This record gives sequence, C-alpha cells and structure tokens, in this order.
Amino acid sequence: MSAVSVPFSFSRLALIASNTFLEAVRQRLFNFLLLLAVGLVASAQFFRDFNFGSSELKFIADFGFGALVFFGSALTITTTAQLFFSEIENRTALTLLAKPIWRAEFVFGKFVGVFAVIGVFCALTIGLMMALLWHREGQLMTIDPEAFASGRIVRYGDLFIVGVLQWLKFGVLSSIVLLIATFSNSNLYTVVTGFFALVICHLQYLARDSWSNVDNLMLRVLVQVLGLIFPNFQLFNLGDEIGQGAALDPLLAGRVAVYAVVYIAVIGGLAVYSFRNREI
Amino acid sequence: MNTPVPAISIKGLTKDFAVTLRGVKLRAVDDLSLTVEEGHVFGLLGPNGSGKSTTIKVILGLLGATAGDVRVFGVPSHEVESRRNVGYLPEAPYFYRYLSGYELVRFYARVCGVPRKQLQARVKDVVDWVGLSKAADRRVGTYSKGMLQRIGLAQALVHDPKLIVLDEPTAGVDPVGTAEMCELILKLKQQGKTVLITSHLLAQIEDVCDRVAILDHGKLIVEGSLQELVGQRDRQALIVDSLPPADIEALRGWLVSRGHALNAIEQPRARLDQLFLSKVSRGGHAGASGGVGSNVVPKSSAPNTSAPVAASPKPKA
Repeated sequence: MSAVSVPFSFSRLALIASNTFLEAVRQRLFNFLLLLAVGLVASAQFFRDFNFGSSELKFIADFGFGALVFFGSALTITTTAQLFFSEIENRTALTLLAKPIWRAEFVFGKFVGVFAVIGVFCALTIGLMMALLWHREGQLMTIDPEAFASGRIVRYGDLFIVGVLQWLKFGVLSSIVLLIATFSNSNLYTVVTGFFALVICHLQYLARDSWSNVDNLMLRVLVQVLGLIFPNFQLFNLGDEIGQGAALDPLLAGRVAVYAVVYIAVIGGLAVYSFRNREI
Repeated sequence: MNTPVPAISIKGLTKDFAVTLRGVKLRAVDDLSLTVEEGHVFGLLGPNGSGKSTTIKVILGLLGATAGDVRVFGVPSHEVESRRNVGYLPEAPYFYRYLSGYELVRFYARVCGVPRKQLQARVKDVVDWVGLSKAADRRVGTYSKGMLQRIGLAQALVHDPKLIVLDEPTAGVDPVGTAEMCELILKLKQQGKTVLITSHLLAQIEDVCDRVAILDHGKLIVEGSLQELVGQRDRQALIVDSLPPADIEALRGWLVSRGHALNAIEQPRARLDQLFLSKVSRGGHAGASGGVGSNVVPKSSAPNTSAPVAASPKPKA
C-alpha cells in the first residue's frame, strides 16, 4: 500500500502557535509580569532624582530596558516551560500528537506562540517607555529649550530597534528553554536549568575573555567551543547610549539580529531532534 | 485478488521502558501479535499494567516499539501518514479548558486538515452526533466527565477517520454516560468504522465488541470472537413462562427420555445497569447536552436472561 505523505504544514504550525498564545495570555503569570514591568517602567519618572549622575532621559531609558530585560527573561523562561509542560502534564499532547502532525510542527508551533507572547510583552513595555520618554522630553524642551536647540535628542527609531533585538534575544532564550524541556521530565527542572542558561549566556563573554590567552590549547579550544554553544547575550545590549542621543550602528544591529536568528534556528532544530523520539 | 489491508497489524511487538539509569528495563509489552480487521469493534482487555495503553500508544506513534512491526492500514505506525485515518480518545481526556466545545472540535478539525469550506458543517455535525450541541458553546472547563468523553469522541471523529481508538472511554463515567457511549460505539460500527477499545468494564466490551484480546503482563493470553471465547456451543437456554413443579418434573422426564439433561432452572434477571437506566432519566442526565446523537440505535443486546434453563443438547420441537 502506498502511503500519501503528510507534508509539513505551516498552517498547522500557526494553529498550534495561536493556541499556545491564547493559553499564555490567559495565564495569570503573564498578566502579573506584564503589569509589573509596565508599572516599573511607568514609575521611572518618579525615580529620576536618583539617577546617579546620568541624564534624566537616559535614566528613564535604562530603567525601562532594565525592566524589560528582567521581567522579559523571567517571562520567557517560565512561559516557555509552562506552556510546554502543560501540554505534557495535562495530556493534551497525547490527543494532539495522535493527529497527523509532525513533531516539528508542535515544537516550532510552541516556540512561535511563546515568541508572540514575548513580542506583545516587549511591544507594550517598549511602547510605554517610548511614550514616557517622548512626554518627558517634551517637558524638558519647554523647560530648557537651548539643550534641545536641534530638536529631540532621543532616537526613537533606534529605541524600537533595540526593543526588537531584545525580543530576538528572548527568542534565543526561549529556544534554549524549549530544548531543555524536550528532554526534561519536569517543569521545575526546566525553569531552574533555563535560569542557569540565562546566567551563562550573560556571563560567558567573561570566561571567554579570561581564558582566551591561557597556554593550554585544549582549555582554550574548550572555552571557545563553549562560547559558541552558549550565545553571548551581551551582544544584545546596544541601548546603553540611546538616552543620550547616540546613534545605533544599523550594521551592528543587523549582525546581532542575524546572530539571534541563526541561534534560534540551530537550537530549535536541536529541540525538534530531541523531541522527535520523546515518549509521550 | 488483493488481500484487504487490516486496520491494525501488530507483529511481535515488544516495548521496554528503562526504569533505572543503570539500564534496568520494564517490559510493558512482550512479543504481541494481533490483527484488527477493518469494520470490526475490537476490545483490548487486561488488568492495570497489562500493556493495553502502551500498545495503543505504539499504534498511535506516541511511543516507539523496542521490537516488532506495527502498521495502521499498512503504514508503519511511527510515520505521520499512519495517523491520517485515525481518531483517538485518550483515557480521562483533558482538553484546553478555555475553549468552548465548538472551538475545541474546530481546532482539532483544522489540525487534521478538514477543508475550510466543510469545517463549520463538519464540526456542527459531529458535535450534534455526540449529543453535545446544546452545551457546545460552553467552555470545556465546565463540562462533566461524561461530556468530556463525548467532546473527546467528537474531536476524534471530526476528520471522519476509518479507525477510532478509544482508551477506557467510560472510565469515571456513570452508567447513563456509559450506556450512551456504548450506543455511539455501536453507531460507529454500523457506519463501518473500525473501533479499538480498551475497558475494564467487561459487560460493556461484551455488548459492543466483535472480537477481544486479553493481555496480562504484556503478553497476549487469549484472542478471538466473543462467541468463540464465551459462547457455550454445547448448551442452550430456553426462556419459558413460570412452570409449576409438576410440569418441570414432566419436562425433565421428557428430556431424560430423549437422552438430554435439564441442568439448571433459574429465575431470569435483568442486568442491574439496565434497571438503573430504566429508572434514571437519560434526558435529565444529558442536561445541556441534549442526549445522544440523532440516529436511533438498536440496543446492543437483549436483557441478560442468563441461562434460566440450560439444556444439553438442543431439544427438538
């Protein structure tokens, strides 16, 4: 009997993604973290007197990005793990995977759904931060017109790009957590390991810098390999100077975006490979 | 002449689970061979841990076989194509609680590739068919167990599969829900569907199945048609009006004179589940669901008047 092959379907993938998105936005955790982040960003203007010497607008931008990174990372790790394991633990995966769908559709559908959730989070947080900056900059322009003789100094386009880069960084983080989830047996293990991975990805450049000049060739190669395995999240921190009017290098931003997409594709592929033989 | 492809073909299936990191394995299914022909209702029986659910999961490609060959309509079960014509209702199903019944069935219909033009009608038909039309706008999270089973059956049937796999479809469901599920299974049989069902309720299996297999500790103990397995070909039961003792003695003498024996005289009894069903309002139980399906389905079996008078062999008129 000749079987008609079931092709990989982007519409099924989108269906799983939209269902994942719907499930996520109905979770209290998402709403809680979103409210916290929005509240923190909105409160930046009340803390502007404690800006430790930097300009007020930069402080608001730093504060906003700090909230975005902190809550975004927490949201990414917990949401990815939760949405994956809710399917396994509630046994909805049994029903779904017994349908004629590819496991790759399931894994990437989960990823796209979570990525969309994080996108909404980033859009709201960055949008609020930009609105605050715009509002405060307008006030400062009235108070001190000479400082703004050549117009607004905050580059809102660049701010948006940095927001997109952060979103991509969360995408990389989400793919790492998804990879862990595909072979992990519990939500808790996945979340804890995900936070470890986050720390490693943020600090790996330190190890690479410290160990790159050691004499031991094996150690040097090992550090380089580990530096390749774990993406360097420091590359995504391009927003430091935006509040002070510095321009973002578009070429650099593009390279970072490609860096993120490559990592998402590779780690996502590994997650599919790992999940392919998982016993449900 | 082409040999018909069986709905399910299992040859030498063995499934081991690693239970420790040192490689100690638990054998859940041991060299199982089975064939389920198309159009049959096949019951897979066995105590807890006998390997029923593991076998079903291998058939559905949710688990890989350690050894052996499992095919669904001739396609190896690990291939996605094998699930194209399969509907599955898991044991104690849990669905996305935030979706309504219609949304849930529509979601699975789209996953299964039901064409958009047919989607609405197909979803409505199948929800009506399982008798949930009145509750289909409610969130699944508010459903009772029986309603969950029925919406589960709806999602299993929405793409009109040829094979339906039901894993403990009446687990935790009350007798009314169980009877309704049996009616639905019989309707599927009438439509020519193949049904593979596992259940602990042996009476239920007896009512709906053509063939059964019994597993124990992963091994196939017995397999065959119900008639072959539980029928007593050398015995018959006659049901007569209540006879006075003198007539019974006369009947016994008549049988003895012809070389037969009157082995038992019993008072026929209805089955307890049938008494329950006759006393409990099924419309009321269905509540918002509105009862089962549209087609009137003949009862699966007559009241069990188990051998009121057993004689051997058949007396002549």
